[in-house]
Amino acid sequence: MMMKTPLASAIAALALTSTFAIAEEPRSGGTINTIIQPEPPGLVLGMVQNAPTRVVAGNIYEGLLRYSTDLEPMPQLAESWDVSDDGLTWTFHLREGVLWHDGEPFTSADVVFSADVFHRELNPSARAVLQHVESIEATDDHTVVFTLSAPFGPFLLSFEAGTFTMVPKHLYEGTEFRDNEHNNHPIGTGAFKFENWDRGTVIQLVRNDDYYEDDLPYLDGINWHIIPDGASRAVAYENGTVDVLPNGTVENFDIPRLAAMDNTCITDEGHEYFSPFAMLWMNNREGPTADKRFRQAVMYAMDRDFAHSVLWNELGQVPLSAFGSNARFQHDGLEPYDHNPERARELLDEMGYDGEEVRLLPLPYGETWTRWAEAVQQNLREVGVNVRTQSTDVGGWNQRLSEWDYDMAFTFLYQYGDPALGITRSYLSDNIERGSPWNNVGGYENERVDELFNEAATAFPDEEREALYHEAQEILHEDVPVGWLMELGFPTIYRCDVKNLVTSGVGVNDGFKDAWLDR
Amino acid sequence: MLYARLILMRLLKAVVVLFMIVIFNFFLIQMAPGDPAAILAGEAGATDQEFLRQLRERFGLDQPLYVQLWRYVSGIAMLDFGYSYRQQMPVLDLILARLPATLLLTGTAFVLSLALGILAGSMAAARVKKPSGSIIMALALIFYATPLFWVALMAVVLFSVYLDWLPAYGMYTVGAGLDGFALVLDVAKHLVLPATTLALFFMAIYTRMTRASMLEASQQDYVKTARAKGLSPRVIQRRHILRNALLPIITLAGLQAGQMVGGAILTETVFAWPGIGRLMYEALMQRDYNLLLGIFFFSAALVIVFNIITDLVYRLADPRIKEGS
Amino acid sequence: MSFFARFAQNRGALIGLIILMTIILMALFAPFLYPDSPWRMVQRPFLAPMEVDGFLLGTDTMGRDVAAGIMHGAWVSLLIGLVSTAVALIIGVPLGAIAGYYGGLIDDGLMRFTEFFQTIPNFALAIVLVAIMQPSVTSIVLAIAIVSWPPVARLVRAEFMSLRHREYVEAARLVGQTNRTIILRQILPNTLSPIIVLASLMVATAILLESALSFLGLGDPNVMSWGYMIGAARTVIRQAWWLSFFPGLAILLTVLALNLVGEGLDDALNPKLSRER
Repeated sequence: MMMKTPLASAIAALALTSTFAIAEEPRSGGTINTIIQPEPPGLVLGMVQNAPTRVVAGNIYEGLLRYSTDLEPMPQLAESWDVSDDGLTWTFHLREGVLWHDGEPFTSADVVFSADVFHRELNPSARAVLQHVESIEATDDHTVVFTLSAPFGPFLLSFEAGTFTMVPKHLYEGTEFRDNEHNNHPIGTGAFKFENWDRGTVIQLVRNDDYYEDDLPYLDGINWHIIPDGASRAVAYENGTVDVLPNGTVENFDIPRLAAMDNTCITDEGHEYFSPFAMLWMNNREGPTADKRFRQAVMYAMDRDFAHSVLWNELGQVPLSAFGSNARFQHDGLEPYDHNPERARELLDEMGYDGEEVRLLPLPYGETWTRWAEAVQQNLREVGVNVRTQSTDVGGWNQRLSEWDYDMAFTFLYQYGDPALGITRSYLSDNIERGSPWNNVGGYENERVDELFNEAATAFPDEEREALYHEAQEILHEDVPVGWLMELGFPTIYRCDVKNLVTSGVGVNDGFKDAWLDR
Repeated sequence: MLYARLILMRLLKAVVVLFMIVIFNFFLIQMAPGDPAAILAGEAGATDQEFLRQLRERFGLDQPLYVQLWRYVSGIAMLDFGYSYRQQMPVLDLILARLPATLLLTGTAFVLSLALGILAGSMAAARVKKPSGSIIMALALIFYATPLFWVALMAVVLFSVYLDWLPAYGMYTVGAGLDGFALVLDVAKHLVLPATTLALFFMAIYTRMTRASMLEASQQDYVKTARAKGLSPRVIQRRHILRNALLPIITLAGLQAGQMVGGAILTETVFAWPGIGRLMYEALMQRDYNLLLGIFFFSAALVIVFNIITDLVYRLADPRIKEGS
Repeated sequence: MSFFARFAQNRGALIGLIILMTIILMALFAPFLYPDSPWRMVQRPFLAPMEVDGFLLGTDTMGRDVAAGIMHGAWVSLLIGLVSTAVALIIGVPLGAIAGYYGGLIDDGLMRFTEFFQTIPNFALAIVLVAIMQPSVTSIVLAIAIVSWPPVARLVRAEFMSLRHREYVEAARLVGQTNRTIILRQILPNTLSPIIVLASLMVATAILLESALSFLGLGDPNVMSWGYMIGAARTVIRQAWWLSFFPGLAILLTVLALNLVGEGLDDALNPKLSRER
């Protein structure tokens, strides 16, 4: 009875054809029109790191490395790098002849300033990596050495522009960073320069004529249109105003219609680095959700395939367990939680669930998420769980989760390739702290899991890490600390004559530097 | 002289009301769940306690409530509306940047609805017992009963998508580099759909009101006198009836003009019109308190200004109100 | 002429009454005709009207029966419209009565208070209130009531001011009736007709307000209302027009009917003012 979406197979077919495109000779010229949603709060990466800021500013700023769609590191501002045998000393050799957009040269001093001063002060996600770093030194103008206090498995995955942005020392040193006048006119090293931000309407970037890679970028500029209404965004693509819809800019329901248009290509590549993973927080501290059997019943009650096909057009995939398929060290031998309302009812009976009200908090991120919460609410009601949905906005959602004032709540988190960066933070007991919706909000505590995760983060080499992570996954799979909803597939929709758009694991966040128009 | 004193009194009262609104809204917004710092931190993509502390200190959110209120009120007294947490710009700049768009949209819709509404209403009044009059009234009633956002959506689908006559969103064509007359024309094209949808509802109200008060006025003695004098029906209609029927419309129009900022929230959202209605909704969702308060202040100020204007116009239009009475 | 005869003379009002009764019947019989929850996903998503037997109005984005939603939604929309109007009357009538009856400083104070609420744009205030209290039927009802009572207060005040020096009021005062008795027994009954007319229009406005709030995502997520249905369908309005068309039509008809009935009531209750008929 399910609507069959041919979209997923269409994408697979496109992936084959795209290899032929590379053979063509790129042409220079033309401006790309695209959409940014929502309007970013600011454009200085490092100061702000939310998704829309990364999408726009990833083309202005750069990091030391880029990552392929297989999450292999590629050179960016660092031309090459090497690591000592004990895994403690990492040396980066910087590219020469790189200029900031204001004409000043980029050197190792900028790297040390960005990492050791700017990010240590402003950037929580960089701080999480920097706590493993003992010292950062510039040995000459184009060499930087990071010394770690202990081996840190995911270290080389942390240098993406959005997390470890290089900011100009000569403009920021000694100033109050957040009040710096250049925040409104960001200066980076990227292929595009900031031109204009007409708030509520458009952000415009123009070609950086002094970019260090010959011929790049091919485009003359990028216009990021700001259109708050989802339906209007779809119309903007349909009537030709914009050529590229980065992931998440149109509602999922619009995607099949847009994808069927002439000269329209769609790709789900370019989110491998983030691998967004949708989860259902369940409060492990109190109420029915504190009972393992209840949480298992929830997993059996939810029809995740329905959500996958109806709400997500069969993009992404239903996860097996706590580790997504793009994450390293996934244990694929676990028994999946299939849709099984009977089993759910049995588990509820077994625990003696008495119909106590359970509150469900949807994620206030648009239609798809609202519909999803409605589907889960109905799934749960059908096995006899007394659910009440509490609708809220981002502020209310934040507060409820931060104060642990919820029973079940939708969220999604980035996995950042390595479990130690993006996954274990949701399960480690020392990551339980009131006041943030991004830590171990569920309040799951298991000593053995803590041990395994902590050991695995600093174990060396990888075989050792794998064994530890597999054991931890088995425990999590049985305990169901959170509901594993979906590995999200965010498609990028674009005109087929926009070539070479997605060339890295962060998609259009740094993709426009290689893109060109075949017009 | 009397006008000057009247305006002065009204302005004084306005200041008091504005002051009350500032305080009322200040406490109202404090009751919203969620702390702006936590939302900003969430927007920044990651949080730890250190980051939250920095944000709170920066925006003075770590101060006791009365200190925050005092800072805010004393700021406003100096026309300093504070700093937007999220957009990192002075609130006044943000509002002034968006205000012209809203004034253009609502002003156009206002004039359009008033003109067409009065026209349709007086036509309907002149055709009381005829089918054409009934049709006008039925249409007015339907427009009045239709949800504004629904009309807006339908208009986009019809005129932008299927017919491709008019742009579906925005205020001007981005990247076209237009200026002079071309720019005016471009903005005008963008204005058609939002202004028309916004105007429809109010037009319906004016139509109904004009007809009702014209019919009422036509029963008055002075109209009977005019008829007895043998003046032509058309002259009576225009000089005697319409003029008197306008008075309640002026009152309503004054109320309406003030409320249009609120009504524009939906229109601006559907059409991506970069005005302050939309800015207000975003500020609320982001708990951008200073910005939200600033917008409330400005929209209340608009209401008050329009009330004063209405009073003055009313005095000009109503022959019965004499100066000093 | 009897009340109903006067009412029935207005043909529009009769039509309005019939539509309104139909909608009320829909609301009452929804649990029997569609015993399943309207949230239940019962068929393929995006079925067009009458594409499959038993699904008269098609299915929505998730395969829920649109007809079931409309029937159950009638109940919610009417309830929110009626209750919020009742709350607005509870606030507005006493304030207006006291201001109009006593006049002077009390009147001044109360009217400033009323003006104060009128100075904040209605819809903006409603949005802020719902966001603060978090969306639920209760918060929506309260928010609508809070933004819609000022006109009631002004109307009642005006009526009281014109009635308070009437002979029968003076007479009651001479007999020594208390102010309370005079307000409740003497004047209020005489102001009922304009209040009833205004109330019928307010129910209509409240239904429109609720739909606008739901459209912005500020509806109660546990009840299926028409506004919610349009809001949820707006992103798919291109491929599935019927999803927003039918609930939109339902709102239009209800609001229309309430207005027609309101006009009819006006004619029937205020025969002197009854205009051209």
